[in-house]
Amino acid sequence: MYSYIARRLAFGTLTVIGVSIMVFVVMRILPGDPLVAIFGPEGFTKLSEQERAGYMAALGLSDPLWVQYLAWVKDILRGDFGHSFFRSESVADMILRRGPLTAEIALISVVLSWLVGIPVAIVSALRPNTIADSLVRFVSILFIAVPGFWVGMLIVLALLFWFGYRAPMAGASLFADPVANLQLVVGPAIVLGLGQAAYIARMGRSSLLEVIREDYVRTARAKGLNNRLVIAMHALPNALLPVITLSGVLLGLVLAGSIPVERAFGTPGLGYAMFTAVSERDVFVMQNLVFVYAVVFVLLNIVVDVTIALLDPRIRYR
Amino acid sequence: MTAIFPAQPALPTTASRARSALRGIGMFFRRAPFSAFWGCIAAAIVAMAVAAPVIVPYEPLKSDFRSMQKPPSEQHWFGTDQIGRDTLSRVIYGSRASLTVAFGAVLFGTTVGALWGLACGYFGGRFDMVSQRLIEFLQSFPDLILAMAIAMALGGGLVTVIVAIAITRIPFGGRVIRSVVLSLKEIQYVEAARGLGASHKRLMFRHILPQCVAPYLILATTHLGVAIVIEASLGFLGVGIPPPSPTWGNMLSDALNAGLVPPWWLVLFPGVAITITVLAFNLLGDGIRDLLDPRLRGSV
Repeated sequence: MYSYIARRLAFGTLTVIGVSIMVFVVMRILPGDPLVAIFGPEGFTKLSEQERAGYMAALGLSDPLWVQYLAWVKDILRGDFGHSFFRSESVADMILRRGPLTAEIALISVVLSWLVGIPVAIVSALRPNTIADSLVRFVSILFIAVPGFWVGMLIVLALLFWFGYRAPMAGASLFADPVANLQLVVGPAIVLGLGQAAYIARMGRSSLLEVIREDYVRTARAKGLNNRLVIAMHALPNALLPVITLSGVLLGLVLAGSIPVERAFGTPGLGYAMFTAVSERDVFVMQNLVFVYAVVFVLLNIVVDVTIALLDPRIRYR
Repeated sequence: MTAIFPAQPALPTTASRARSALRGIGMFFRRAPFSAFWGCIAAAIVAMAVAAPVIVPYEPLKSDFRSMQKPPSEQHWFGTDQIGRDTLSRVIYGSRASLTVAFGAVLFGTTVGALWGLACGYFGGRFDMVSQRLIEFLQSFPDLILAMAIAMALGGGLVTVIVAIAITRIPFGGRVIRSVVLSLKEIQYVEAARGLGASHKRLMFRHILPQCVAPYLILATTHLGVAIVIEASLGFLGVGIPPPSPTWGNMLSDALNAGLVPPWWLVLFPGVAITITVLAFNLLGDGIRDLLDPRLRGSV
């Protein structure tokens, strides 16, 4: 087991290094000129040759690329994520302040997706091809198709229209002001949670249908075990393994999906910061945020893999 | 005499090919009427996008300052926006942007991915190992975040958005086609061809590639929906096709920028358009998958 975790972590480190190179390539090399990204194509043409050189030197962009890359990696290792062009707060502080809100949203949405998705999957799989099953399948396909940020806008609009209610705009920590914090988090968490629940219900259904046909389930039934117990004790634990893997993949959906959803709700989380960075063309903040998101995603996937290995010995010993 | 005996099976002519294609579509309708119905809706949306200039009631970019931010009425079925542009016309034009990006990105991304996967699966060895690591790096980014970063770095525009979304599609094509090729490589007819001294090129393109068409088609249709959602999200976040062009994501973003309380018709209609389009392509994809290869259920 430990060797599996060690192997997974080693691969994870390699992936993080690869990811950092990829982020660097995308943000620094692809455009040819970061100044175009910062000032926009029109603003860029207005700059004089001298101004361009001045900006490039000030930003450290006239060094050779590998020097720039190493400098960036060194900064990150020291925990220095740089500054925005437009705000005084450092990016590291911003992540610490806004990150928890997005983490809360992600966590609640995952819990919600399981609470909704699994019971729905069970009902659907135990009575395949009934009206209830067809309804569940259609609704889950619908939920996969609906863009979360649009549902978010509709919810905000409906609450405002019928109840005159709007979630507070300012950030609030879970410990200092739990009520305000909950109001901020609940909307995005529901929208993202239901989106994931649809995938989980689909996967849970097909996985459960497969497991129910297995010999050991028939044996359990044959020895006279109550049907509920057969499902709960024998079928479900095995059917859930692919669902856990899927849930890990869906975390990427949540991390990315929370960006437009937070914009729709006006939630002051990390996703909203990402939106701000993009709309202000703040290349360096964007570079660091993209890197942070990717690293978090890699780490979460390792956690999911290790969890699966803990639960399923077949994977551990491969 | 030759007239009495049945002739050799004729080589497929254009007419017979068309007939067999029609028969295929007929079978699709019988076996999966639900998917076929949504396939028709998808076709209708494509037709709408193509015919947009003819069917729109107003110019999508023209402002009418006498009717600004008006709710749906007889003149403007979907209402007008803050500067008096007709929402219905903009929604119809939005389908153009959305579908161009989706088809372009999926065609480009999935094809590159598929060819890469073909090479990986066929050659194996060190090339495959390095490629798998690269694909893993690509997959370490949530789709939308990678697309955002690329779109922002390249600066906005139609081609940029297509490229940005296409790059996020590469890993999927690569993974699926590689696994298909790995299993095909050992099949006897491929071995026989190899034994006869067929070149790598001939083996890859004449013997293995045709077997990859079904998974490729399935993959491409399934990813159209994802591409449409990513395009809309990019537009909503302000890194899509730049503003004056009517795209569904831009329209939703404009609605939110308009003020604290966006008018409901500006929020409702573009979102409904996205949902119906994505739904149609997803269900069509499901149907095609079930028809062509039921084994792939759940894996793509």
